Order: sequence, then structure tokens, then C-alpha cells
Amino acid sequence: MSGLSVGMFLFLVSVGMSLIFGVTRIVNLAHGSFYMVGAYLMVTLVEVLPDRPWAFWLALLLAPLGVALLGAVIEVGLLRLIYHRDPLMQLILTFGLILVISTLVLLAWGPDNKSVSRPEALAGSVLIFGQPFPSYYLLVLGLAPAVAVGLWLIFYRTRWGMLIRAATVDREMLGALGVNVAALYTQVFAFGSWLAGLGGALAAPTIAVALGMDGDVLTTAFVVVVIGGLGSFAGSFISALLVGLLQSFGILVFPAVSIVLLFALMAVVLVVRPWGLLGRPEQ
Amino acid sequence: MTSSTRALGVLAVALVVAPLALPPFFLQLLTEIAIVGLFATAFNLLMGSGGMVSFGHAAYFALGAYAAALLVKRAGVPMLLALPAAPLAAAGGALLFGFFIVRLTHTYFAMLSLAFAQIVFTVIFKWKSLTGGDDGLLDVWPPAALKSPAAYYYFTLAIVALSLAALHAVGESPFGYALKSARENPRRARFIGINVRRLQLFAFVISGAFSGLAGGLFAFYNGSVFPDFAYFTKSFEPLVVALLGGPQAFFGPLAGAFGFKILEWLVSRQWPVYWPLFLGSIVVVVIVALPMGFVGLAGGRGWRTRLTGKT
Repeated sequence: MSGLSVGMFLFLVSVGMSLIFGVTRIVNLAHGSFYMVGAYLMVTLVEVLPDRPWAFWLALLLAPLGVALLGAVIEVGLLRLIYHRDPLMQLILTFGLILVISTLVLLAWGPDNKSVSRPEALAGSVLIFGQPFPSYYLLVLGLAPAVAVGLWLIFYRTRWGMLIRAATVDREMLGALGVNVAALYTQVFAFGSWLAGLGGALAAPTIAVALGMDGDVLTTAFVVVVIGGLGSFAGSFISALLVGLLQSFGILVFPAVSIVLLFALMAVVLVVRPWGLLGRPEQ
Repeated sequence: MTSSTRALGVLAVALVVAPLALPPFFLQLLTEIAIVGLFATAFNLLMGSGGMVSFGHAAYFALGAYAAALLVKRAGVPMLLALPAAPLAAAGGALLFGFFIVRLTHTYFAMLSLAFAQIVFTVIFKWKSLTGGDDGLLDVWPPAALKSPAAYYYFTLAIVALSLAALHAVGESPFGYALKSARENPRRARFIGINVRRLQLFAFVISGAFSGLAGGLFAFYNGSVFPDFAYFTKSFEPLVVALLGGPQAFFGPLAGAFGFKILEWLVSRQWPVYWPLFLGSIVVVVIVALPMGFVGLAGGRGWRTRLTGKT
């Protein structure tokens, strides 16, 4: 069960990463940093907001929005200037952003680990199949599939979603048809950042919020995205669950090598289907 | 050619007589520059000649450093025998990971190399009983004869010079040219009978081996090894160094190492915490503000055309 919840955080982060890649063709290496910023914003918001039952939920709403804003600023201020360049330049740029963001987080929040207490209503645990299970995880288990369904509705039932799907297929044609592709890029990048921020904010009460969580999440999310297929939304969902479960079972069965297990799975997928389970082959 | 040979000669003489004129601190800085220069040059065999940008070369640096340090610490092997294990261990790692990595290209290549480096980092970090985990391995010093800054400087200089000569020879060999052809047009390279994947894997292993040697040299210079050696910020180092110096020229990364280390020393001396911020900002600014791009990646333009803006 906790494997499923870990899968949910992973899903939120990796679907954002995958979405950004699908539309803008940028592999956002700073996506783990966005997740970290989401968690840290959660820490601060919960501290600053008055000690009321609704404070946690307001923070959960605001923290991802802050990250979305950060993403939008980065897209407009930096990435937009280099879309026409070699994709590796974009990769290196987002790698540079990891360093910048991690130092800024260190300066803003200091080197000590932080924690966020769970909201009172969800502080206890419930019995499922006779096993105690923290009730906060139930929220995670409920919210992430809700987000998944919401995403599906957005992609397949709204005009904006249709534009996003069109952009993943042929951006130039979309532009030629009169769609403002630049604005769409910004929206998608901000939306993907929002998802990472939501993942971070939601994860904050279950982990120690610490420097270095950017790298950990980036690696795992990357494994998820590669296994599921870059740019594939359903692929991210399935593989996030798979990876989350594999990680938790791995920790139970072979604690030392769980991460190796994960990468072994990725290596197998890469050899058999380099473009991922549900992705499209590289052109 | 002759002018560059002459410049190289002058540089060599200057480096050899440096210990007579410089205080120990600067010798240590020069030692570090030589090590980073070797690391970046090895990295650049892939990026410059092969067009393959690895985002995880810290893995091979760390494998080398840990192999040498572990042999000295856990098996009591003398330093001069432990050092050759560094490139061997790194080459082994590069062969294993490279087998998967060279199957992919461009962005996927970079990402997979990064992912493998994170595994190496995690294994080093978690395997406390062997690697000491977060605490690293301390007291990994060279024998007394090599312990002084000047002695270790000469030792490093000699090994780095030999390695650079070897890497240069690799780049100029038929193998090196085949690698360049695979970068320029992999399909045509396959048509003329080059096994591109095997060629790239071979280059990956050579590059990994010399990165590991740099790691081994650094372990004994530093006297200790830490999991940070494999962290992704470390992977960034050869990339930035090569980009700063110019990946198109063989000595570009070495020149970049000079600039990089001196900058790092100037910044970290004043504000150590700000160094990553500074480094990241330089990269962001350079990439965004230099539309001509870096040599090589931008399509093989030389320094001169880049400076004058002609193509």
C-alpha cells in the first residue's frame, strides 16, 4: 500500500516531466528541483498561515501555484530564448538551473531538515486488512488518481488539451494553423511545474524535507518516464505505480539493492523497447 | 602547427619549473587543474570527437577514486599498485553502463548516463560497510616520497601528460576519425562498414578509464574520498570545463580547467556557499547570451569563425 502512495508522488512528478517533454521537447532536469521547492514552500506556508484546520489545505493549494509561477518565469525568461538551439543546450541549461535552485533553497531555508505535520483529520491511521495504515496516505491514494482523471479530462475533453496533444504531434503545423504556440509552451511548462510542485507539497508531510531531495526525485522520476515512454501520459501512470511498488518491495526484500533493481528494470526496458512501454520511437 | 607546438613547449617548461617559483598552495591548485584537465579531456573524447554528451561522468571518476582508495584502505595495497586499479575499475564500469548508454542518442544518451551515475552514487552512499557511506574513506595518502606538494605535483603532471598524449593519439588515430565520422553521419558511417555502436562503446570505455585515472589521482591528492565524487554536480564539472575551453580543440578542456579552477578558487575563497549558484548562473548566462553557441555542438564551427561571426 505505501508502495502505491510512493507511486502517486512519482506519478505527479513524472507526468509533469513527460508532459513538458511531449510538447516542448525539453527534458527538464530541474523538475526534481521544482518538486523540492514545492515541499519547501509547503513548510513555510504551513508555518506562516494561522494554526487552523484549513491552513494545511490552503498551503497545499498555494505551494504548487508558487512552483507553477517559478516554472512560467523560467520558461519565459530563459528557455524561450533557446528553443531553436541544439536540444543539448536546453538540457545543459536546466542542469545549470538545478545548481542555481539548490543554492537558493539552501540560502532561503538553511541546511537543516524540515518537516510538515499532517493535518489533524489525517494524523492517525486506519486498519486495512488488519494492518495499520496512515490515513494521510489515503488522501494521497485518492488525490493522485483524481489528478490522473482530471488530466485525462483536460487532454481529451477540452480545447486546450486538444492543442497540447496536437503540439506533441506536430508543433509547426499547429503554429501554421494560427495557434499561439509560444503561449502554449509557457502554459504547459507552468502546468508541468505545478504538477511537480503538487507532488512535493503532498509528499512534504510524509518525508524529511531536505536538500538533496531534488536529485533523488529526479533520478526516480526519470526512470519512471523512461520506462513509461517520454511524452506518454498513460505510460507514466503505469510505470509510476510499477516503480513505486518495486521500490517498496525492494526495500522490504533486499534493502541494499532496491535502487539497483529499479535500474535493472530500466535497462531491460531500454534494451527491449528503447522508447519505453507506451512511448513512440525516436525519429 | 609549429606555433602551437612551440606554445606547448613553453607551457611544458613553465609547468616543470613552476615548483621553484610558486608557493605550495599554488602547486596544489596546479595539481588540481591537471587532474580536472585530464578528467575534462577524457570526457571530451566523447563530446568533442564522438558527439556524445555524458551527464554522468562523475560515475567513472568516483569508481576510479574509490577503487584506488579501497585497495589502499581495505586491502593494504601500496599506492603505486592501487593507482592502476583506478582506470581499470572505471573502464569496467564504463563497459557495463556504456553497453546500455550507447544504444541511445542525444538527449536519451545524456539522461541514461546521468541515471547510471546516480546508481553509482547511491551504491557508494548506502554501502556503508565497504565505502564508509557519507563519511567517506579518510587517510588515503600517497607514500612519504610523494607526499610533499611539489612531489605529488610532478607525479600528477607526468601521469597527466602521458595520458593526454595517449588521448591525443587516440583522437588522431583511424579509430578517432571513425568516431568523428560516426558523429557527423552515423548512417553513412554504417554504410562504409563501421560498427558504430561498438566504436562508441569503445570510446566510452577509454573515456571512462581516463576519468577513473583522474579520480584515482584526485583520491591521493585529497587524502580522502567521498560519495560526492559521484554526485551529479560533479558530472557537471567536465562538461562546463570543456564548454568553457572549447570542445573542438584537443587542449580546449585543459585551458577550460585553468579558467574554471582559478575562478572556483577566487569565488569559493570569498563565498564558498555561492559557488554552485555562481557556476549554474555562468552556464545559464553563457547558453542564453551566446547565440553562436559553443564550438562543436553548434555544428563544428571553429573558434575563429565563432569570434568573427562568419560561417
